Amino acid sequence: MRLPQILTIFRKELVETLRDRRTLLMMIGLPMLVYPLMAMGLSRLMESNVAATRARRSVVATWGAAPAELVEAMKATDAHLEVTAWLGAPDEVRRSIEAGEAAPAAAVAHGAATAHPTKGEQENPTLAAARTLLTSRRADAVLVSWPGLDQALARDDLGTVTLYFDALRGDSRTARDRLADVLSTYRTTLLTRREQARQLPAGFTDALKVLRRDVAPPARVVNHAMGSALPFILLTLSLLGSFYAAIDMTAGEKERGTMQTLMVAPLRSSEIVMGKVLAVSVVGLVAVAANTASLSLTITRILPAGEVSIPPVSIVLAGLMLVPITMTTSPVFLAVAVFARDFKDGQNFLTPVFMAIAMPAGLAILPTVELNAWTAFVPVVNIALLVKAVFSGEVRAELVFLVLLSSALFAMLAIMLAAHVFGREQIMLGGKESARSVLGLERRAGGVPTPAVALTTFALAMVLAFYASLLVEARGVVTTLLVVQYGFFLLPALVVVFGLGYSARETLLLRLPSWQHLLAAVVIGATGWIAIVGVFMRVAPPPESLVKGLEQMLTLGDPSLPLWVVLLGVAVTPAICEELFFRGVMLSGLRRLGLWPAVLISSLLFGFAHASIYRMLPTLALGLMLAALAWRSGSILPSMIVHAMNNGLIVWVVRHPSSAGMLGVSETSTLPPLSVTVAATLLCAAGVGLAWKAPGRAPQ
Amino acid sequence: MSTLLARHLMKRFPGVAAVDDVSLEVNAGEVVGLLGPNGAGKTTTLRMLAGILTPDAGGVEVCGIDLQADPLGAKQRLGFLSGDTQLYRRLTPVEVLRYFGQLYGMGGTPLEARIERLVRELEMGAFATRACGTLSSGQKQRANVARAFLHDPELLILDEPTNGLDVISGKFIVEAIRREKAAGRAVLFSTHIMGEAEYLCDRIYLLHQGRIVDSGPLADLLERSGQANLTDAFLHHAGRVSGAA
Repeated sequence: MRLPQILTIFRKELVETLRDRRTLLMMIGLPMLVYPLMAMGLSRLMESNVAATRARRSVVATWGAAPAELVEAMKATDAHLEVTAWLGAPDEVRRSIEAGEAAPAAAVAHGAATAHPTKGEQENPTLAAARTLLTSRRADAVLVSWPGLDQALARDDLGTVTLYFDALRGDSRTARDRLADVLSTYRTTLLTRREQARQLPAGFTDALKVLRRDVAPPARVVNHAMGSALPFILLTLSLLGSFYAAIDMTAGEKERGTMQTLMVAPLRSSEIVMGKVLAVSVVGLVAVAANTASLSLTITRILPAGEVSIPPVSIVLAGLMLVPITMTTSPVFLAVAVFARDFKDGQNFLTPVFMAIAMPAGLAILPTVELNAWTAFVPVVNIALLVKAVFSGEVRAELVFLVLLSSALFAMLAIMLAAHVFGREQIMLGGKESARSVLGLERRAGGVPTPAVALTTFALAMVLAFYASLLVEARGVVTTLLVVQYGFFLLPALVVVFGLGYSARETLLLRLPSWQHLLAAVVIGATGWIAIVGVFMRVAPPPESLVKGLEQMLTLGDPSLPLWVVLLGVAVTPAICEELFFRGVMLSGLRRLGLWPAVLISSLLFGFAHASIYRMLPTLALGLMLAALAWRSGSILPSMIVHAMNNGLIVWVVRHPSSAGMLGVSETSTLPPLSVTVAATLLCAAGVGLAWKAPGRAPQ
Repeated sequence: MSTLLARHLMKRFPGVAAVDDVSLEVNAGEVVGLLGPNGAGKTTTLRMLAGILTPDAGGVEVCGIDLQADPLGAKQRLGFLSGDTQLYRRLTPVEVLRYFGQLYGMGGTPLEARIERLVRELEMGAFATRACGTLSSGQKQRANVARAFLHDPELLILDEPTNGLDVISGKFIVEAIRREKAAGRAVLFSTHIMGEAEYLCDRIYLLHQGRIVDSGPLADLLERSGQANLTDAFLHHAGRVSGAA
């Protein structure tokens, strides 16, 4: 690729775009309007809502004989209550209360004594009547004074009242709070009176005064709320800026017939793509800048002081986070829009893509979805979560690194995709070509997948596995493990091979290995894990939380499970599923890049899939040995044996700490001693050497 | 050495052989016509010669450079123009010329001087700094001619360059082609207008259903077909081939 040509295309596209009013409006006009309007509208709405609720007096129905003093207090002006006796009480309820037959019902689940005072009670006529009244909205709360209340208070005994409210209704919650205030004051009055009557010191009956104080700075609470929704808004509005620019530079250019002119010029398709990607990205970034500027101005100038305080530096940081995603979405937009023949067609093509990108950003609004080593690899979601973390001030450098790394990978893949599509002359000249044929996904007879097919399979499997794990996570470790292993490693491997007609034997290496490779596999399987644990725990000790998480994974979250179940789940299943995926489809797909690139890239992906920066290096090391073994033997079996032994032996040690003693691991440290580590490393290296030298059927 | 040499070009689209074993050559200082009815394969042939479409079989050399092996080097030496070529609506002709000049590796004072000269020669002064979207068809095509001639290519491939133009604008383009020929450039062009072909062409290839059915100087074509003018000779060939098929 030649830089001057790329820059020439970039400059020209930018000039043309800046002369297009439609793109300018989407890029700068919209954000400048949306945030202030949204903020003003929202704060007006909230103000008027709050004011209306405050101004309105809460309607309270009192059932039963409330003490006169309490009724007086409720009727005081500053209580904001409108009290009506027996409002909405059905005859039989009133009769049973007046006759002294009614009594407070037991609370749900627990005994009345331990139940939370605001929890529901067992179904009874009074509750049903109160519910009917509150649902009809004729009253905001019902206060039931149970028979004998006055007498109990007179005896200095315990009196009971029940406050019925509807937590789903704002008016009812307000009524509850106002009533609770009045009741609390009344209670204090009663206690003080009892203390004075018995000449007890003030506070004798209360014994302990609990002061609850929320320490969260008001700004952070608001930031968290804002931070949840803002990534979504920022992202979609920023994407909208590049949306029209991408269509204009592809479908628009085809519609105007200028694409052919460009194709006559001495340019590579990659240069055309890079020039356009840069231009669309800059448009997207200007949109990001316009959005962040408008947002910070809105927060500092328009919203009332103190309502929201997001430091400008957070907004700028969030804006910076959108840079990598713009670099990913721009080529994707270009690659899709270039299939369209005209501008209108382009909008039809790109709208679903836009939605597919915007929806995951919406996921970030969910409070349970947080940035971790796993979500850091899900495109779009990772950036949205990172922006959320920036707004609530909870960013971790390790995760920022992972997000940037994965974003760079996705951007690279997207640019490769766009360059590939731009190289298809039929599409560029306005002819038709199916996406299947462009992406090289037609059925073929035999052979192995291309690197593009392998990498796309990996990216798709990872992203889908993320969404699936969100769904099954609640069902426990075992379900999640089985779904991920069989659904997102084994199934994609089989779908790619059989669905696209590749040779299963060549791709999945379904051959018998030589006895030397089997021997090497057993040696590496027996010693590799000690070498890896011994070396990496010395070099980069993992945090306690990761060790605990791993131990839970290795016992399938239930130490009482029979050993064979655990071995089946943790050792055999990954050995089959992950090997067919990584040493099968991935390694074979990357084969045409040559031995070392194929081994290295497939092992890196193997490491990424075990998303944690601490697990990455050990997994990468294991992956390198597995890939080299599979390559040299031409068979999947040796790597399956190593993988199963590796996981299985670790499970054994976790379940039988005494056996770890044989390796010299003490109770206080999980680290194998240096001598054992060195011996294991040497043996493992001998195994690798044997695998390398042994006569095999290395793939052609 | 021929400026343009094409050997046994083949191009199939689903269900049809658009170009079937076409070989041709064009030398410096020569205007060669590629004539044929609609759907004969003229545009597909010219696109393959200009490096926009990849032939299924056969090869193309531009000034001795293999188009497949070194597409950038070959494209650098050719200028392409078609009747339906458009310009960037929001750029002015001068900006379009500057853009393509830079893509062809030109720049600085030589590029500006070249643009100035083309604007003068092609009488574009009145509209050279107006947005292309506001220009008439004739004005646009003149700007397009300037774009195709800009990098001083040794070979010009022109696909129905006067398509849709009025007589005056068409004549203007035809004269520009003659000037390029006089300057020693090789020109291959296709047209529906037989008068243009008779006036301009040193040699003619007649294309029908993707195959070359006759070729040679105008006089030879007329003699072989026994017709008095190119239109009748063209009809004669079209009828004969259709009849034979």
